[in-house]
Parts: sequence; structure tokens; C-alpha cells
Amino acid sequence: MGLFSTNPVAALGRATLEGVGAIGRVGLFAARGIAAAISPPWYPRQIIAQFASVGFLSLPVVGLTAWFTGAALALNIYSGGDRFNAETVLPQIVALGITRELGPVLAALMLAGRVASAMASEIGAMRATEQIDAMVTLSTDPRRYLIAPRLIAATISLPLLTLITDIIGVAGGMQVSNYLIDLSPGIYIANTMDFLTAWDVESGLIKSAVFGFIIGLMGCYHGDSAKGGARGVGRATTSAMVSAAVLILAADYLLTSVFALK
Amino acid sequence: MRASWAETIMGFAVLAFAALMLTYALGVSGLKHSSGTYEVSARFGEAGGIQPGAKITVSGVKVGSVSDVTIDPKTYLAVMHLSLSKDVKLPSDSTAKITSDGLLGGAHIALMPGGAEDDLKPGGEINNTQGAVDLFGLIGQFIRPQSGSPAAASSADSAAKAPAAAPAPAAPKAAADLPEM
Amino acid sequence: MTTTAKIAWTGISKRFGAQVVLEGLELAVAPGRSLALLGRSGQGKSVTLKLALGLMKPDAGQVLLDGVDVTRQSEAERRASFRGIGMLFQGGALFDSLPVWENVAFRLINADGVGRAEARDRAVEALALVKLAPEVADRYPSELSGGMQKRAGLARAIVGTPSLLFFDEPTTGLDPITAGAINELIRDRVTSLGCTAVSITHDMASARTIADELAMLDNGRIVWRGRADELDHADHPLVRAFVTGQSME
Repeated sequence: MGLFSTNPVAALGRATLEGVGAIGRVGLFAARGIAAAISPPWYPRQIIAQFASVGFLSLPVVGLTAWFTGAALALNIYSGGDRFNAETVLPQIVALGITRELGPVLAALMLAGRVASAMASEIGAMRATEQIDAMVTLSTDPRRYLIAPRLIAATISLPLLTLITDIIGVAGGMQVSNYLIDLSPGIYIANTMDFLTAWDVESGLIKSAVFGFIIGLMGCYHGDSAKGGARGVGRATTSAMVSAAVLILAADYLLTSVFALK
Repeated sequence: MRASWAETIMGFAVLAFAALMLTYALGVSGLKHSSGTYEVSARFGEAGGIQPGAKITVSGVKVGSVSDVTIDPKTYLAVMHLSLSKDVKLPSDSTAKITSDGLLGGAHIALMPGGAEDDLKPGGEINNTQGAVDLFGLIGQFIRPQSGSPAAASSADSAAKAPAAAPAPAAPKAAADLPEM
Repeated sequence: MTTTAKIAWTGISKRFGAQVVLEGLELAVAPGRSLALLGRSGQGKSVTLKLALGLMKPDAGQVLLDGVDVTRQSEAERRASFRGIGMLFQGGALFDSLPVWENVAFRLINADGVGRAEARDRAVEALALVKLAPEVADRYPSELSGGMQKRAGLARAIVGTPSLLFFDEPTTGLDPITAGAINELIRDRVTSLGCTAVSITHDMASARTIADELAMLDNGRIVWRGRADELDHADHPLVRAFVTGQSME
């Protein structure tokens, strides 16, 4: 509102300061979250519960995403790639695309939608109904009880989910190639397994661990800083999802360029 | 926290599918490297475009893949290690030829069975080879025929004793130290 | 009052931006006394409580708990000092992901390292003290009525046998009959534990039942303080308005 009523240079300055402040707050939140995650006491029940809800219950959506992506990728390489004979290396391109890029990124984006938003709304609602204050008065550190388990579960679950994504993505490509273009599964897999190096898969897993941390961090941060009742919680949910998705894509570019130039 | 049964079952279904797929993939790739294949080698004057994993065909049907490409330090020839399916027995005088899949596409090795009585043994060598055609070298010669040395045989030491294999022109730089035909 | 106050707010000031909420607040509660802090909405009653719990920091002044300033404590020290404190939040603030018994036993399990079986037994005992049946223990907070949630919250506050209890508007949102029952329960528990209690409320019936002392907070400071039986004879206009339920004009 005040953006146009004051002088534009001051508005720009204020926006910049707010941006810097937000980065500082997220950074501090992240540092405290990591400190709580890597030092005792831990709450094993909470950690296991988060693994179940972040990791296990994300399997169906991640599996479906992976299969369709692998299948569509194979079809596209077959139909579009014949301009430069790419169809002869179809299994290899699918494998490379899935393990290095699409598996980690799509699994992370699905989790940003499913998990970061759920974390933000849950923690936001706990804030709004004084449950977090209540936890403090019950001599329990919410950072250890709520934040750390979510960060741990998200950071470890996503690479595991990405491994599943890699496998099912290749399966999707294989099955489509088999039924639609008559490429035998045996040859498809043989080509894939011969071609893939450990680093193709590892680089994807390293990326997905970073993405997992981003998802946990954005979910918890936006939930924890939710203000203003139900509407604030709604806003926090959206912000968590959008900021997680944007940060995932930015981190993907950064990490990929570090890997590519190393 | 209180997950529904449907969600739990779906989760296990996805895990089971992934496990099945992984078992299958490991089975297929494991088979290739163990009892299902045998290795032979072949020397080429020009390996252009062939990398480990490139396919090997007989009459256009895939029968194996290139497991390794090395250089012979004495003759400077490219040594291809070919991994072939045990189901395919090839006569000892078969020919190996590097063929491009298209103008810019990947290359593969085509095997043409010969007529000898005895078969290639595991660890044996295919003596009749035809190297890669250097398209740009060819085009260059066609445009400026007077420059550079004439085309040399890309099939290496085997070319002389096996005239059946048609010598293919190769890049002058690759064949510079070979005798002119 | 020669003994050290159980809890005392001294010279507390707190403002949010330009809005001054508390200005030089002085309030002390002697051990074993039950004080009700009255005041109109938005006069800083909740802030006073949150300052004592360390959920907010004052701009100036101290909150002394057994003579120790809690506003200067580290988070870990503050969490330790909560072992002797119970708090009933306005909406109950039960953890909705946990069944009732785990809510009640939360401190025992997560801070005191009591085994789950023993913690559950003690939780069921505490639930009985607030007149909740053992079957309720396995239900989730969302399955309880507002009155039952308040009872479960009260059970959670008293399970560790605290020496100081805080009540944030304990009867808000309840029908008069349920509110009356909750008030009786609170008075019952406070007397049998022999602990100090500070309640904030604008419900006069509640204040009369649970408190033996009352204080009126207005414009950032205490404007009137007295015993429950002095309430009807108070000459402060705001107190009179509260008692009669009529506008001050």
C-alpha cells in the first residue's frame, strides 16, 4: 500500500532491507534447526513418525510421478529425437535424464507440494492455538521436538525416495519402449545398466538431500513464523510450498554447475 | 500420523514394484557379464565414435556390446573388447566393421560372418576389420584432392593378408604412419 | 508481606511499536495465594502472563520467580524453571496429534524421562482428579468437547505437582454450567496442591470462585487491588463497572 505513497527509492531500499532481513531470519532458523538436529536429546518417536509421513506416505505420489515421467521422456526421445538418431540411445538418455535431473527435481517438487505445505500448516496451526507456547511451558524445546525431526526426516527421506524414483522412472521408460516401439526390456535394461555410472546416481542423491533439507526448512520456517490466525496459516502454507519449489530449482542449478565444473 | 490403510498399502505396493524392477535390472545386467557372454577382441586403425557400451550387431540384430576400448602401445591401433552373447557362434574369419547409425548419430560394430569351419573362441581376435569412415576427411579429399596424402587403409595389419575386407579410407592423420596402398 | 513473593512483576514496561501495553507494572503474589488479574480486553493481561512465562521479553523491568529474574534466563534455564509451573491455556492448547493421555503426560515423557507405562498411569490419575473417565485417555483432543478439553488441559497443568499455576481465561467459551464446574475444579486443585495461582479473566463469577485476591489492570498498571469480599464495596469506577456489568458512563 505504502509502496506508491512514499518515494520510490525509499520503497526499493525498504524492500531490499526486508529481503536481507528475511534471509537472515531463515539463516538463523536453519542454523538453530541444524544445531538441534545434530545434538542430543533427540525424540526418536517424533523422528520415526516424520519418516513415516514424509518418506513412506510420499511413495505413491513419487512412484506415479516417476513412472509417467520416464514413460513420457522415452516417448519424446523416440518421436522427437529421431531427427538426430537419438532413438538409438533412448535408454541411455532416459537413464541420464532421470538419475541426474528429473528424478531428484520432480520428487523434490512433489514433496514441496505434499510435505512442505503440510508442515507449514501443522506448525502454523500449533502456533496459532498456543500449542508451541504450551510445549515450552512443558519444559520441552519445540526446536528439538518439532523442527529437528522434520529436518532429519526430510533430508534423509528424499534421497531414498529419489532412489525409488530412479528405478521406477527407468521402468516407465522401459515399459513404454517395450509396448509402443517394441524395444525388448532386456536390451533396454542392459543398455541402461552398462551406460549408467555410479556418479550419475550419486550426484542425483546428493542434490536430493539438499532439496530435502530445503523442504523441511521452508515447511518449518513458514509454519513457525505464521501470524494472524487461519488466514496466516493459509498464507504460510502457500509460501512454504512456493519458496521450497523456487529454492529447489535454484539449488538444482547451483549444484549441477558445481558438479559439471568440478 | 494416523495413516490410513489404503495409504500404507499403496506405499508398500510402490516399494514392491521398485524392488521387482531392481531385481530384474540386476538380473539382466548380471547375466551379461557372467555366463551369458564371451569376449573377443578386434583391432582398428580408426575407432571413431565407438565407446564402451556401443552395440554389436549381426545382420542388424544386437548380439553384444563393446566392453572396453584401449590403445595398443606398440602399433597405435585401437583395440576393441567385444562382449558377445554365447548364443551367437561366429566363424573365425568373420569381419568386424565400424558403422555409423546415421550422419551424426552414434556408431556401432557390425559383424559379418565368414565361411570358415572353426568358430571364434572366447578370448580370440577378429582379424578382418574395417575402421570408421571419416566423413569429414572424405569430404575434405573430395574438395581438395591434391592436398594431403591419399587415403590409407584403416584396417590395420590385417588388411594385407585379408584382401576380402575392402579397405576404407581413413583420416590422413590417423593413418599417416601406415604404408600407402 | 515480609516473605519473598512467589512471583513478582517489578517496573515492567512493554510496548508493541507505538502502542504501550504495560507501563511500570508492579504486581506481587505471595506464596499460597490465588490472584485473579482483571481488566478489559486488550489491556495487557495476556502479555503479563506471557512475560512471566518468558514467552515474551519486557522492554524494561523484571519478573521475579522465587526471587530469580526469569527475563534474564537462557532458554535452557527457563525450561528447567518450568518444572514447578503449570499453565492452562485459553483454548486448552492440547497437542492435537497426541491422544489425551500423552498430552497430560507430555512433560513426564519428554522432559522428565518417565517411562511411557508409568507416565500413562500418572496421566490417568490426573484425569481422574479433573473428573475425566479413564476411557477419555485414548481419545484425541479433537474428539472432546470444549469443557473436556479445558479439563484435560488442567490435568496437564497439575500432573507435575507444580507450586505455581497460571490460568488464561479458564472459562472463556464455556456455557455457565460447565464454567462453574471448571471454576470449582480449579479452586479444588489449587487448594489441595497448596500452590500459588495467577488467573487472568474478565469473568467476575470465575474471579470470585477461584481467587482470594483480585487486581484490576488498566492503562498498563494496576489500578485497584483487594480481596474478593471487598469487590462489592470498591469505589474505583472501573471495578464498579465490572461488578455491575454496566458501562462506566
